[in-house]
Amino acid sequence: MSRKLISALVALGLSATVATAQEYPTKEIQGIIQWGAGGSTDTVMRSVTPHAEEALGGTVVMQNMTGAVGAIALNYVVDADADGYTVLMGAENPMLYKVMGLGDEDYSAFTPINILARGTAMLVANNAAPFDDYAGMLAYIAENPGELKLGATGPGGLPSVITAMMNTVEGELDVISVPYDGDGPALTALQGGAIDVMPAVLGAAIEGIRAGNMKPILIFDTETNATLPEVQIATDANAAYATYLPWGPFFGVFAKNGTPDEVINALTAAYATAAENKDFIDLMAGRGFTMMNISGDEANAFLTKWQQGTAWLLDDAGLTQASPEEFGIARPAN
Amino acid sequence: METLMAIFTIFTQPQLLLLVGVGTFAGIYIGAIPGLSVTMAVSILISFTFSWDVYPAISLMVGIYMGGVYGGSRTAILLNIPGAPSAIATAMDGYPMAQKGEAGQAIGVTTVMSFFGGLIGIFVLAVAAPFVADFAITFQPRDYMLLAVLGILLVGSLSSGSLVKGIFAGALGIAIGAVGRDPLTFTERFTFDLRLMEGGISFIAVMIGMFGVSEALQQLQNVNMKAVRQKIDRIMPSFGTVKKYLPLSLQTSSIGVIIGALPGTGGDIAALMAYDHAKRITKKPKVPFGKGAMEGLVAPETANNAAVGGAFIPMMTLGIPGDAVTAIMIGALFIHGLNPGPMLMVDQPDMFWFIVGALLMANVFMLIFGLTGIKIFTKIVEMPRSVIIPLILLLSIVGAYAVNNSITDVYWMLGFGVFGYFMRHYGYPLGPVILGVILSRLLDDNWRRAIISEREDLGSFFEGIITSPLSLTLFIAVILIFVSQTSIWTFAKNRLFGKAS
Repeated sequence: MSRKLISALVALGLSATVATAQEYPTKEIQGIIQWGAGGSTDTVMRSVTPHAEEALGGTVVMQNMTGAVGAIALNYVVDADADGYTVLMGAENPMLYKVMGLGDEDYSAFTPINILARGTAMLVANNAAPFDDYAGMLAYIAENPGELKLGATGPGGLPSVITAMMNTVEGELDVISVPYDGDGPALTALQGGAIDVMPAVLGAAIEGIRAGNMKPILIFDTETNATLPEVQIATDANAAYATYLPWGPFFGVFAKNGTPDEVINALTAAYATAAENKDFIDLMAGRGFTMMNISGDEANAFLTKWQQGTAWLLDDAGLTQASPEEFGIARPAN
Repeated sequence: METLMAIFTIFTQPQLLLLVGVGTFAGIYIGAIPGLSVTMAVSILISFTFSWDVYPAISLMVGIYMGGVYGGSRTAILLNIPGAPSAIATAMDGYPMAQKGEAGQAIGVTTVMSFFGGLIGIFVLAVAAPFVADFAITFQPRDYMLLAVLGILLVGSLSSGSLVKGIFAGALGIAIGAVGRDPLTFTERFTFDLRLMEGGISFIAVMIGMFGVSEALQQLQNVNMKAVRQKIDRIMPSFGTVKKYLPLSLQTSSIGVIIGALPGTGGDIAALMAYDHAKRITKKPKVPFGKGAMEGLVAPETANNAAVGGAFIPMMTLGIPGDAVTAIMIGALFIHGLNPGPMLMVDQPDMFWFIVGALLMANVFMLIFGLTGIKIFTKIVEMPRSVIIPLILLLSIVGAYAVNNSITDVYWMLGFGVFGYFMRHYGYPLGPVILGVILSRLLDDNWRRAIISEREDLGSFFEGIITSPLSLTLFIAVILIFVSQTSIWTFAKNRLFGKAS
């Protein structure tokens, strides 16, 4: 009896040693999603992660942690151990936390595992709006100062960046900026006529455009969009947009700095494989996202460029709480 | 016609039927546990059902949603802890009934009426979805604001006793709801530069603390009192009872469908508004409201289940979520390769009819599971206080932690529990606090949107109200309800009608 017990214990001990010697991951990985369930970040992460789990041979338990423009989630991962068992699944917002006075940390405290995709910004208008294109909209604003209601999602959000870009390129536009909780509620308000024009991510507006519930005005990109080829692009409307474009919100998976290299490598390889999955690529294309699938130095270079351009654009528009200079964010060379 | 047949898909495939059943059963018990919300359950399911076909995945989610909205009433009636925000109003008359030994009857009526409300919601979804959606979308920020004001006026009917104390409690609730980073400008409000305050105070934590913990503390005063024996002979409400409340439940179901269909308002507000409506139109309740009035159970329970069908209306016709759960379902449809949006009805009409069928089935399962096991559940109330008080505390702590996996929420919850205990002690009603927290954002955000849209000009703001029929109706309703609660009204009524009679 006791001998049996001892041998059982020994066996248990052995298997435990085997388990620790096993490669990463040996337990569940916690994936902290910065935005709420059902949003863009959430859907992207929940679509790609099952493929990454397969490649990794482990389980990633995803959890939405919302609040303070995603800063709650970011701080949670910063406070966790750098062992690769808590990863951040986020969007572009943290890159502006410092200048917007929303927090002391951004992605510089993280190693990018994969920057999966980039969204394209565009302007959409209410069907009843008295113009059908970008030139018409500018003319309307000039003739009716302070009349056009432009949707917004708070400082640092996509609409604020696009509005700052338009103000820089076209000169100050006299419009009313009406703030909403996100592009979903704002696009709803647009269809109800509470606002006239909304700068939104293409993926969020595409179904509404297809159904004829709203009309596309301008796409903020340097190349004609494959999903909406007939819509004018910003650089055609005004060549000065080229300074800031291509620009767009992005989605990425991040691990805290100091995570062991082999863990970073395992995660990077898994997500790189997952991002090549056909189902995922189709899903992203259907929503008008541009695939990126970059990591390492390439991802860091992208993040730096994104942060410099956007932070200074907002600073020039007088929307920041602190100058990018204070945080060592260099002004981009034009 | 062929697409209409998709409504029967659910009945022809036993596997789907089983999934709806399992979902509804799970939903009832998830809904009953405070802090474990339907929203959470459905969002976990998204990853879980990733590799499934879309029909089974939706079947399970629909079941959980329907069951969960109903399940919240269980703990509200038995323990005075609403299992979900939409069951707050249920607690106000359900719990007093349980204390009188009528828990079985309360659950029975709740179940049958939830079924009835659910049915109306589904019916409206099936026959009038495009019309209701078009109507819902015309609500402007100022209309949402007026709706919130209308909600705030419920303070009067939620406060038994002193109206002044009720107003104080409501104002406190609005202030609690404003804590944290303002979602429109990200400015910090009432945060005192503390990082933990930035995210605001969890509404669920306030709710669980105020209802659950304060109730437990209250009961500590008479631990040795014998629990009330529960009458369990009359669980199923008689046909006469159902018939008696039919006109009321039709009205409150309509409130539920409309409020549910509005993007940005859901079952919680619907239930509170329905409760208020019942209180207003019921001239002579057999039992006073707040002491166990049957009308006080019928109204919120029909409304919150009708809101389920309502929430699907903008989701299916416009791709706009009616509430948090439908927002996640839109995400789920997307992950399953569909393009949720206004074109879904055109591209995949069978999906619409399939969901209608699934909802219908979930509603039937809810009735079946809801009416079984009541006898065992009512035993909870018969347990000695020394057992039930720790149970309430444990449930409250687990519930508060589960919302965000945050221990801070537990501290908030306990703090508000103690605070709520003293509020009760000094005769301050707790209902208005919760009402204030729920309506705080709706009122604040939409007032600001409305006034920003008018370039901060009050003149054109009122011009907008008067020129829009919808706003004008709401505005007149606000004024009428407000005036009817003041002494001027009673005075005028006596002068006008008093002489005549």
